[in-house]
Amino acid sequence: MKALSFAGSGFEYFKIWIVNILLTIVTLGLYYPWAKVRNRRYFAANSNLEGRNFEYHATGKQLFIGYLIAMAIFIVFVIIQNVSPIGSLIVALLFILALPWIIWRSIKFNMRMTSFSNVRFGFDGILGGAYINYLLLPIVCFLALYGLPIALAIVIPMLGLQMNALLGIIILVAVIAFIVLAFFLFAFLKKRNTSYAINGYRYGQGEFSTNVETKKFAMILLKSVGLSILAMIALLVIVAVIAGFTGIANEILQLKDSLQDPEAMQMALAGSLGMLIGLVYLGFIIVSLLIVAYLYTRQRTYIYDNSNLDNKITFASTLKARPFAWVMITNFIIIIFTLGFGVPWAKVRMARLILENSQVNTNHGFDEYLTQKQKQQSSLGEQIGDAFDVDVGIGF
Amino acid sequence: MIIHGKWHSLGSAAQSVAALYIEDDDYRLEIDGGRTYSGELQSLQVSDRLGNVERKITLEDGSIFASQDNDAIDRLFKDHTKLNNFIHAIESHIGLVAIATLLTITFAFSFFKWGVPWASTKIAHALPQKTNELIAGETLKFLDKYMFEESKLDVEKIEHIREHFRSTLIPLDEKNNSINYKLHFREWNDGETGIPNALALPSGDIILTDEFVKLSENQDEIDAVLLHEMGHVVRRHTLEMVIESAFVTTAVMLITGDNNGLADMGVGLGSLLVSTNYSRNHETEADLYAFEHMLVAKIDPQAFSDIMNRITESIEEINDEKSEEDEGGILDYLSTHPSTAKRVEQAKRYSKCFQIGMIICDTSTVNSEH
Repeated sequence: MKALSFAGSGFEYFKIWIVNILLTIVTLGLYYPWAKVRNRRYFAANSNLEGRNFEYHATGKQLFIGYLIAMAIFIVFVIIQNVSPIGSLIVALLFILALPWIIWRSIKFNMRMTSFSNVRFGFDGILGGAYINYLLLPIVCFLALYGLPIALAIVIPMLGLQMNALLGIIILVAVIAFIVLAFFLFAFLKKRNTSYAINGYRYGQGEFSTNVETKKFAMILLKSVGLSILAMIALLVIVAVIAGFTGIANEILQLKDSLQDPEAMQMALAGSLGMLIGLVYLGFIIVSLLIVAYLYTRQRTYIYDNSNLDNKITFASTLKARPFAWVMITNFIIIIFTLGFGVPWAKVRMARLILENSQVNTNHGFDEYLTQKQKQQSSLGEQIGDAFDVDVGIGF
Repeated sequence: MIIHGKWHSLGSAAQSVAALYIEDDDYRLEIDGGRTYSGELQSLQVSDRLGNVERKITLEDGSIFASQDNDAIDRLFKDHTKLNNFIHAIESHIGLVAIATLLTITFAFSFFKWGVPWASTKIAHALPQKTNELIAGETLKFLDKYMFEESKLDVEKIEHIREHFRSTLIPLDEKNNSINYKLHFREWNDGETGIPNALALPSGDIILTDEFVKLSENQDEIDAVLLHEMGHVVRRHTLEMVIESAFVTTAVMLITGDNNGLADMGVGLGSLLVSTNYSRNHETEADLYAFEHMLVAKIDPQAFSDIMNRITESIEEINDEKSEEDEGGILDYLSTHPSTAKRVEQAKRYSKCFQIGMIICDTSTVNSEH
C-alpha cells in the first residue's frame, strides 16, 4: 500500500487564491470560471502517487456558458425566495426534483475532467439510478419512518383506548421499532448511495466496484450515537463538577432571585456564569465535531477497504477521527481569526491530511490503463450544483 | 536547452523517461527505448503555469511530455501563453500579491458598503411601480390570517386618522402622487400584550397596530410614524432589500467558491451583518424623509422622538416580563433598526431647525456627522 501525497503549500495557494478573488471582483464575476479551474487544478495537479499526478482538464471557456446560465437560475431563485412564499415553495420543489439530475451531471462532468497519470476517469451510472437513490428512496424511507408514529397517533384515539399497561407496552415497542428502523434506513440509504457512485466510477477502461453492506453502516452509526450519548453525559458531569467547585452553582441559585431584576441578570451573565455557558457551548461544538469526524472517518475506512479497481487495485483509508476533528477545529479557528484570509492554508491542510491518509495498492501498476472515448457534455449541471452548494461527495 | 521529464503516448497511463532538446525554433524529444519526435516548437501546446504543478506539453499526435521544469518551459513558450504569464507574474511577486490583497479588501468593502446599496437603489427605482404591487402581493392577507386580528379601536378614531392622512400627509409629497396609499388598522398581540408597531408594504398599504395608536398621545406622533412609513414606500425599501440580498448572496457564493463546512458559518454571520447594516440605513433614510416632510407640514420632529421613546419603553417592558431570553448587548449588533438613542438625537437636530422656522433643514450645519 502506498499513500498519496500533496505537493502544494498554503502560501503558494494563497497567492493564487487572492489573485483569483481580485480578478473575479474586478470583472464583476465574469472571471469566476477561470478562477475555479485554477483552484481545482491546483489541488488535482499537486496530488501525487508514486511519481504520477492527477490533473483537472476543464477550461474556463468550457465552463463559461454553463456558469452564466447557472448564475441566472441562482439569482432568479434568490429573488423569488425573497418575494413570494408560494413561489419559493414551488421553486424549492422544482429544485428537489432537479437535484438527482444535478448530482448525476456533476459526478459525470467532474470525473471526466479529472485524470490520473494521463488517463481520464469517468462515470457510467445512469440517470434513473440517481433518481432512485437521491429522490425516490429518501422519500420512501421518510414515509416508512414517520408512517409508524403517524399511524399510531391516528389509530389510538380512533379505538378510544384508555391509557393502561397494554397501551404503554405498545407505545414502548413502537418507539423502539422507530429507532431501530431509523438506524436501518439511514444505513440502507448510505449503502445505496455509496454503491451507486462507486460502481459507476471508471478509470480508463477499468471499473471500480464496491460491496458495502447495510449492516456494517448501521453498526458504525450505532457506535457513533452511543459515543455521542456518553460524551454528552461526560460533558454534563464535567460542567457540574466545575460549577460545584467554583461556586458558580450558588450563582445559578441566586439567578432565580435576579429574574425580576434585569441588571443583576446581565451582571451574572457577563461574569463567571457567562463563561461557564460559553464553555458548555464550546464543549458541545467540540463533542459534535468529534462525533461527526468519527462517523465520517469510520465510514470512509469501511468504504475504502471494500472497494477496488478491476478486482486488482485495492484501497485503504488510514484517516482517524481525532486528527480529522483536530484539523477541522483548527481550520475553523484559522479562518475566523484571519477574517477569511486563512482559507488557503485551511484548504491545503485538509487536502494534505486526506491525501496522506488515502492508500492505494500499486503492486499491479497502472500501465495497462487507457483513456476511453466519452461523449462531450456541457458543464451546466455541475455549475448549478456549484452555485447551490450541492454536496456531491465523490469520495476520493 | 534540455528539459527533463516523462512521456505518455496518447491517453495511456504508461510513462517513459524522456528529454526535450531545443535548438532555435525546433525541438527533438528523445524517449527511453529509442523513440524520438522532432518538429517545430510552434506545433507544441503547453498547459498553463500554476504554482509549481507539473506542466503538460501536448505533441501533434496527442502524446504528452510532462515536466516539472517550469522556469525553462516559461522561457521557451513566452509568446504562447501571454495572459497566463501575466497572471502567474502577479501570483509569484510578493509585492504584487500584497497589493492584490489590499485591493481585494478595499474592493470588497466598497462593494458591500456603497456599491450594492447604490446599484440596488438604481435598479429599484428603474422598475415600474407595478413591481412593488407584485412583491406586496398577498402579504396583507397572509399577515391577516396568521398574525393580525381585527382592530378594536373606535370607528370614529380610525376615520379621523384616515381623513387626516388623506388631507394632510399625502399631499405633502406631490412628486410621488402615483403611489396608492391605503391605511389599515389591526390588532397584533404577543400572548396577552399588544405589540405597538407600524409597517408599510411596498404597494403603499400602511398598517398601524391598535397598541401603537393607544400609545400615541397626539396627532403629531401618529403623523411622524406615518411619514416614516411613507418614506419606506417612496424609497422602495422592500424592493431594494430584495435586490440587495440577491447581490450579497451571489457575491458571497462567488468569493467563497467551493468552501464548505465550518467556513460557511463565518460567511453566514458576515452576510447577516451586511444585510442588517443595509436595513439600518433604510430606517435612517425613512427617518430623514419623515423629518423633512414634518418641517414642511409644520410638525415638530420632536414628536417622532417622543413616540419612539414610548415605543421602546413599552417593548422593554414586554421583554422584561420574559427576561430569561434577554441576552443583553450582543443583539444590538444584529439589530435591523438603528438604536433609538441615535434616532432621537437626529429628531432633536431637526426639531432645532423647526424651532427657528426652517423648512429645509441643512443637515451639514445641523448634523455634523453626515
